[in-house]
Amino acid sequence: MTGAFDREFTLAEILPAAMLETLGTALANLLDADLAVLDAGGDVLWGRAPADASREAFVLEIEPLGYLASAASPDRLRAAAVLLRQMLVARARYLMACDLHTDAIAADWQALLERNQALAASEARYKALSEELEQRVQDQVRLLDERTRQLYQAEKLASVGQLAAGVAHEINNPIGFVRSNIASFGGYLEKFAALKARLAEGQAAWKDLDLDFVIEDGAEIVKDSLEGVDRVARIVRDLRGFSNVDRPEEEIVDLNDSLREAMSVFSGRLPPGVELRQAFSALPRIPCLPGHLNQVFLHLIENAVQAVADTGKPGTVTVSSRPAEGGIEIAVTDTGVGMSSAQQARAFEPFYTTRPVGSGTGLGLTVARGIVQAHDGRISIDSQPGSGATITLFLPA
Amino acid sequence: MPDIENDRLTFKLVYYGPAQSGKTTNLMRLHDLLAPELKGEMMTLETQGDRTLFFDLLPLGFRAASGLLVKLRLFTVPGQVAHDGTRKAVLSRADGVVFVADSQKTQEINNAESFKNLAENAARVGLDFQRLPLVVQFNKRDLPAIVSEDEVRARWSGAVSWPLTFAMALTGEGVRETFDALLRAVFRRFADELELERRHGLDEAAFVAGLLGGGAAT
Repeated sequence: MTGAFDREFTLAEILPAAMLETLGTALANLLDADLAVLDAGGDVLWGRAPADASREAFVLEIEPLGYLASAASPDRLRAAAVLLRQMLVARARYLMACDLHTDAIAADWQALLERNQALAASEARYKALSEELEQRVQDQVRLLDERTRQLYQAEKLASVGQLAAGVAHEINNPIGFVRSNIASFGGYLEKFAALKARLAEGQAAWKDLDLDFVIEDGAEIVKDSLEGVDRVARIVRDLRGFSNVDRPEEEIVDLNDSLREAMSVFSGRLPPGVELRQAFSALPRIPCLPGHLNQVFLHLIENAVQAVADTGKPGTVTVSSRPAEGGIEIAVTDTGVGMSSAQQARAFEPFYTTRPVGSGTGLGLTVARGIVQAHDGRISIDSQPGSGATITLFLPA
Repeated sequence: MPDIENDRLTFKLVYYGPAQSGKTTNLMRLHDLLAPELKGEMMTLETQGDRTLFFDLLPLGFRAASGLLVKLRLFTVPGQVAHDGTRKAVLSRADGVVFVADSQKTQEINNAESFKNLAENAARVGLDFQRLPLVVQFNKRDLPAIVSEDEVRARWSGAVSWPLTFAMALTGEGVRETFDALLRAVFRRFADELELERRHGLDEAAFVAGLLGGGAAT
């Protein structure tokens, strides 16, 4: 292998022509005689050898690397050979060191390349792993999204159930008395039918049948019934506010209207002793999903009303609204049982509920927060056990 | 694999091992102890303190009856971990290796790492480590806290059983025996391929004797 540091050098390799010329001339001058430098094979590399020349070998390792040929005295020629050899040893050491250095650098470079490849491979592995992790995160996020939607759906069904119960109660009452009124009115009509047969009796029959009362009461009954029917109609109108829950289209609305709608659902079905108050300030109209926010308001009011009812004492639920920096602040404040800090910490956890099994899904606040966050808003609880609670929403304009 | 060219056969033998285990000392003692027909000067390329930076080189040789010149070039590698590139370059084209281990108990990890490095570098420079003539020398037997011979033998009696020798290179004890064992391993590895016996009338005893020189009867 040429260039390997451990190759065996020839004389010509160690001493290039120019160097040999300088060295040979100097040695010839010192010897004061003609001189030739021969290689290991006996060929003249430099100089002239007279016919009567004697030869002196010079050995680098164990074999002659070449010869000096001259007619100079043997002692002088030997000295010249010793001198030349020292030069050769120094040159050989230099060449070996150079070549070894080159080899070592190449080896180190190779090692670096290998390490680099290993690093590149490792980097590729990490990249693949990172991509895989990214994919897994995305899958998890998708799953969570789906679960959240399911939770939301479940909660929606639950509030629809509550709403239905409320509505049934609200509608049942007027329908009851309207029906009773109509039955009474039917009886009054029978009296008029009986009058037809007793028309000959004149005024006596009128009095006997008590038709003055019938006319007076009939008018009352009709008025009451119309009021009852109007009430049913109002309830139905209020319900429309919630019917666009499934139309998640952004609208620009005055949230005071939405709050009013939500509060109206409770009018007529508040537990005894609970008063629902409103403290609205004029609000800027903001883009939002009103159907979803109605859900939130309904739920917060429901919770507050329940918290007051749980005290067993009279109390109030105040729904307030005001413009705030960069948006709108809405607060539902009650004088109810309040929440401990442990309860507050867990309040937004799915399925966390302090109510008896079966009366709540424990999803209300979770879903409320989800909806508020979907509006880039915030929801917070401020409460002390025994002294009520305030839930504050911030919604950006 | 060495070649016979112009009636010359050159073997490259390398003394490998951890830093300061006595590789250069082995070569210096061999220079003093051996008396082959041809013996060159020991060439020490460069040192830092007493630590080899490049390599040491000791050339030896003898001429077989057939006229074949058998040359040996003994190299040492630098043992320090940092000089791995140089170590690998020196190990290239080796025909045989003496692994000089330090017998001291404190050096066991260094020995193991250096031996592992030898195996790895042999693979990197294309040497068949399983077939590479190799002698393992436990040096510095004169020091106090050393691993006992029994323990060394127990530990090194693995699947491949390389010849084990014990030495005190400073006094020269075991140095020649180690070299002897390597010469025999080298001869057995290459004699057939090079037809040393058939074409050059060179058997193992003559090969070893020629290189040990002097009263070479072992």
